[in-house]
Parts: sequence; structure tokens; C-alpha cells
Amino acid sequence: MDMSFILVQILSGLTMATLLFLVASGLTLIFGVGNVFNFAHGSFYMLGAYLAYQAASVWHTNFWIATIVAALGAGVAGMLAEWLFLRRIYGRSEEGGFQILLTYSFILVIDDIVKLVWGTEYKSLLRPPGLTGSVQVFGVTTPTYNLAIIGIGLAVVVLAWLILSRTRPGKVARASALDREMLSAMGVNVPLTMTLVFGIATALGGFAGALAAPLRSVTPGAGIEVIIDSLIVVVIGGMGNFWGAWLGALILGEVMAFAVILVPEWAVVISYVVMVLTLIFKPEGLFAHSKVRKV
Amino acid sequence: MLNRKILLLVLVAFISAGLSPALAVAQEKLIKIGALYPMTGRAGLYGLDSVDAAEMAVQEINASGGVAGYKLEFINTDSKAKPDYAVRVAKRFIDEEKVHFLFGVVSSAVGLALTEVSKQNKKIFIGTDHASTQLTVDKFQPYYFRVSNNTFQSMAAGALYLKELKQSKPWETVAYIGPDYAYGHDQWNELKYNLDRFGIKYKVVGEYWPKLFAPDYTPYITSILKDKPDVLICGLWGGDTVAFIKQATPYGLFEKTLFCSPDAGGNYEVMSATGGELPLGLVLSARHHNNWPETQANKDYVQKFFQRTGRYPTYAAEGAYAGILAIAEAVKKVGNPDDTEALVKALEGMKLSLPEDPEGFTSYIDPATHQIVQVQAIGVTVANDKFPPAKRMLGDWKVYKAEDLLPPKEYIEARRKQ
Repeated sequence: MDMSFILVQILSGLTMATLLFLVASGLTLIFGVGNVFNFAHGSFYMLGAYLAYQAASVWHTNFWIATIVAALGAGVAGMLAEWLFLRRIYGRSEEGGFQILLTYSFILVIDDIVKLVWGTEYKSLLRPPGLTGSVQVFGVTTPTYNLAIIGIGLAVVVLAWLILSRTRPGKVARASALDREMLSAMGVNVPLTMTLVFGIATALGGFAGALAAPLRSVTPGAGIEVIIDSLIVVVIGGMGNFWGAWLGALILGEVMAFAVILVPEWAVVISYVVMVLTLIFKPEGLFAHSKVRKV
Repeated sequence: MLNRKILLLVLVAFISAGLSPALAVAQEKLIKIGALYPMTGRAGLYGLDSVDAAEMAVQEINASGGVAGYKLEFINTDSKAKPDYAVRVAKRFIDEEKVHFLFGVVSSAVGLALTEVSKQNKKIFIGTDHASTQLTVDKFQPYYFRVSNNTFQSMAAGALYLKELKQSKPWETVAYIGPDYAYGHDQWNELKYNLDRFGIKYKVVGEYWPKLFAPDYTPYITSILKDKPDVLICGLWGGDTVAFIKQATPYGLFEKTLFCSPDAGGNYEVMSATGGELPLGLVLSARHHNNWPETQANKDYVQKFFQRTGRYPTYAAEGAYAGILAIAEAVKKVGNPDDTEALVKALEGMKLSLPEDPEGFTSYIDPATHQIVQVQAIGVTVANDKFPPAKRMLGDWKVYKAEDLLPPKEYIEARRKQ
């Protein structure tokens, strides 16, 4: 294996990792900050892909406007789902079980809505103009759209980190993960915060769906295919940690990129091996903050 | 007073709705077909196409008076593409619904599970879409029949195509990418077997096994580029083929290697989903084509399907259509749908004139394997917008004789002994 091929493969892994991260970012946000495991996160990703298709291919808007339509649409759908259903189960003794059941039902509902509105045929989205071609990187042709996605992924992780750690709304959001009662005693509207956080998380999912759409096929059921890998990323990276999710995705992406060449028949199980190793040796995630305890 | 009237109306409506199927049963004799197509997820499109085409055939036959005094009744339950679940539904079909035929299925995994149910209950199972050769070779049982091509036939056609290609464009090296389950592995083994059988020299430079429904193929693509194969054989299907093509195009993969996907690559949804993005010159095939053969029968079939559903069919549809025709033909010969052994005899060797038959050829069911024997055409992608939203269709056809695509006797015997 020569050096330039290794670099090319690293770049491939990076593209794959960034898409993994973009999907997982919303999941880690709602998991870590909102304390909700949204099993239907992949379905909001799928919804975003369909909304982007609707905007770009049917209404002929600019691709980037379509990604915003997708993010807004998925965000509003997420807020509705939280406001109408999820908030009714907060604080129940078996909340975790209810969360899984309820969000699993969202998967079925969203899948059927998508089928009713857009049918079962595969839909497709073109790459945005200006990013259809490729450039030479390490002497190998690399699609410009892939490079753009890597850049967007980095921007999202930096932006999310800045907002969560440097702004007041970000701090409020993080506090709601630790102690909702105390937060509301301090005059913060906790239910509204939860709805907004859920909306932002699903908007991230929708945004990822829109960005991935030109590279994938937009079909019903696409949500279930991404949720497992996203979950692995969140587990590796530590819940609620954007840098962790990004690095977790990076590890998974690069491991996959090289497993493909070194152990082609085993490439599929490698991601699970990485997760199992993480769970055994650092169950809170590789990049989790040290545990905060209520005193 | 008004309320009472409404109440009565509702009651009458409910009672008559409840009674009507019972009345129908009392009035006419039925051939019951219990189908198991997936209606959700990625395979949902194939399921929906199959159900629409089967219902189309059922309505045509019933409208012309049914067969042997019977009307066809088609019931589908979502298989969810899960073998254990499909087995439970199939047993319910047999015990409670008293179906005469099991029918359908997209996934070979479900097909392999159902053929066991069919064998144990001596209930004929008409396979319409799943392609694993195991069903008609290794796991053959007398009550199973398949009315669409299997992967062996597609791979034999692919190997013959590659053999001819040697004359015009000499090639040496080949790589493979296919999903990591029976369907993907079968295709690769069968292609190599057929290349050897036809005495074609080749060198394998790469093998890749992504999981089914993998969303991202970038590392595979860059690695294939490094392998520099003259020919890339692709065993992916549906959305996976679409994703692979979309991701590989900007890498220039299709200019550097000949892309050849002879089993499912040329299915209509690949063309409709990729539109103008589909590169020209890819070598693809499928078990039915909307634009080949250009016979009246095929044109009529495609148009009827389009008028009914507003979309053009994938190959899954024609398999289901063929399955209903086969059942009708068998019952017509036997005179009733209850004599299973006689129906098996009637299906063995049955000739079936289907939309995909070119002029001068009629599909028939091979009595030795219960596999339908059909001509296969392989084409390359060319510009063609007659079947929107597709902007490319296949053209420059190479047509392979049905008999040349069958597995040799020794192959079948060796596999059945294992």
C-alpha cells in the first residue's frame, strides 16, 4: 500500500465519518442534553431528505435553500412530536421504556406519511451546481461535494460547541440535562427549552438528510439504516458531546475505510467491534466529561 | 327520530359490510392466493409493484369469466421482509384462510423459509421475485416453482457478454462488489463458475462485501480505483446500486472501468432514481425491461401498468404478473384448485407467453428444477426519455438464448448432493 493511497483512503473515511457525524449530532444532542433517546432520529433524517427533494427537485429552489427547508421542516415536525406526545411521558417511573416505544412509533408513522406523500419510488437529488465535479487531491480525483461536506461537518461541530459552552441558551440547555427541577426553580421555562432542544436536534437530522440526499437514494425506510451507525457513534463519543460525536464518527469512518481493504469480508462487523471495545473499557464514551453528580 | 334513522343506517351498513364477503363466498367458487410481499422499507417498492401487477392480472382474468368456473382471489400480507414473521403468516394463510397457493416474496431469505412451509404442508409456492439459485437447485422441493430468472441465469448471460467483449475490448482483470448475504455471494460464485465454464481467462483483483443497505460506498470506490479492474461486476440492487453510482460518478470510476451488473443493475428504479445523472455505457440487465422486447405484448403490459398506477413497473411486477397467469393456466388444465399433485404436474413444463418473451420464444417451466426458462437481454445505458422520470434506458441489446443460461446437469446434481 503506497502512501498516496493511504491518504486517499483517509479522505474517503473522512467523508463517510462526516456524514455519520452529521446524523449523529442531533442524536447526541437530544440524548445528552434532553435526556431523551430518540429512536426515530433516522426518520427525521429521512424526512429532511424528502423535504430537500421536494424543494430542490419539485419546486426548483436552490439546493442550499432546500437544505434549510429540510432543517426547518424536520425541526418543526420534531417540536410537534415533542410537544404533542413526548412531554406527556417525562418523569414517569419507566420513562426510558416509554421513550423507546413512543419514538419507535414515530418511525412507523413518519415512514407511512412519507409513503403517502411521496410514494415508494426512489427519489433523487442532484448535487448543487458548482460542486458536481472533482479536484485532484494527492494525485487522485476527489469529488468537490465530498470536500464541501467535510467542511460543513467541521463548521457544525465548532458552532455547536461554541453555542453550548459559550452562550446562555446553550448553558441552559446543558443544565436541563442535569437538573430540570432546579432549572425551573430558577425561572427557566423548562418545557419550552425541551421542545426547542428537540426541535434543534431533529433539524440537525433533517439537515444531514438533505446533505446526504445527493449521494444516496431517498427511499422509505432510509431512517432505520442510519440509526444504528449513529447510535454507535454516540456510544463511542460519549452522549451529548459534539466533539466526542465528531471524533467517534471519525474513528468509525477511518476504521471502516481501512477494514474495507484489509479484511473485506469482516468490514461489516468492525463497527460493532469498536463499539463493544468502547463499552468494555470506557462505557461512558471515549470523550465524555467526567461524571457530574448531584449533591 | 332522525337520530334513530341514522343509527339504523349505520347498523345496516355495518351488517351488510360484514356479510358481503360471506355472501360472495357462497355465490362463487374461489382460487385463493396468499401472497407475502413487503410493503415497507426499501423493498416496499418491489412489493407494491408486485401487488399492483398481480391484482391487474387477477382483474383481467376475472373480468373474462375466471377459470374453470372459479374466480381468483388475491390476498397480500406485508411480509416485513422477515423470514420468521413470513412463516407465521404463511401458516395462517394455510390453516385459516385455506389458500390454494402461496405466492410472491422479494427476499431470498424469506423465500428459503417459505419453501420449507410449502414442502411440509404440500402447498404450492409460486416464487416471483427472489433470485437465489438455491431455491431451485440445492433446496429444491416438488411444490416450489419460480416464474422469474434466478441469479445463475443472469450470471451466465453476464459471462457470455464478457466473453464476446474480449473480441472488441480485450480485458484481463475483474473486481466484484456485492451485498454480504446469500444473494451477493451467489452471484459472484456463479459468475466465476460461468466464466470458467465458457473458458474465459480472467484475474480477480478485488472483492468487496458491503452490508445490504449500506448508505456509504466512498472507501470502497477509492479502493476499487486503486485496484484498476478492467471490469467491475456489481451485485448490488435497488437503492444500493443508485447510491453506489451516484457516489462513484464524480470519482470518474465509470470512465476507468467497465461497470457490469447483469442481475438487477438494469431494474427500472435505478434509471428512474438517477435520471440524467446515470452515466452512459454501463452494462446492465434485469429480469424484465420496459423497452425490450419491442413486442406488442410487452408494450401493452407496460402501458396497462402505467395507466393503473401512474408509474412504470420494476421487474418485480412482471414476475408477479407471470405468477398469476401460471396459476390460472394450471387450474384451467386441472379443472380445480384443490388437486395439488395434478397442479404440480400441470405446472411442470408449462408454456407461458409473457411480456418479456421476444418474438418466436415462449417461456416455459423446466420440469427438472421448476425454474422458468427465459431469454435474457443485456443492454448498455443510452439516452432515452420515453419512460420518465428516467432519462436513460438500456439499448444496444445483446440477447442470450434461454437454453444457454441454464445450469448444467452436473452442477445441479453436485449441489443437490451437498
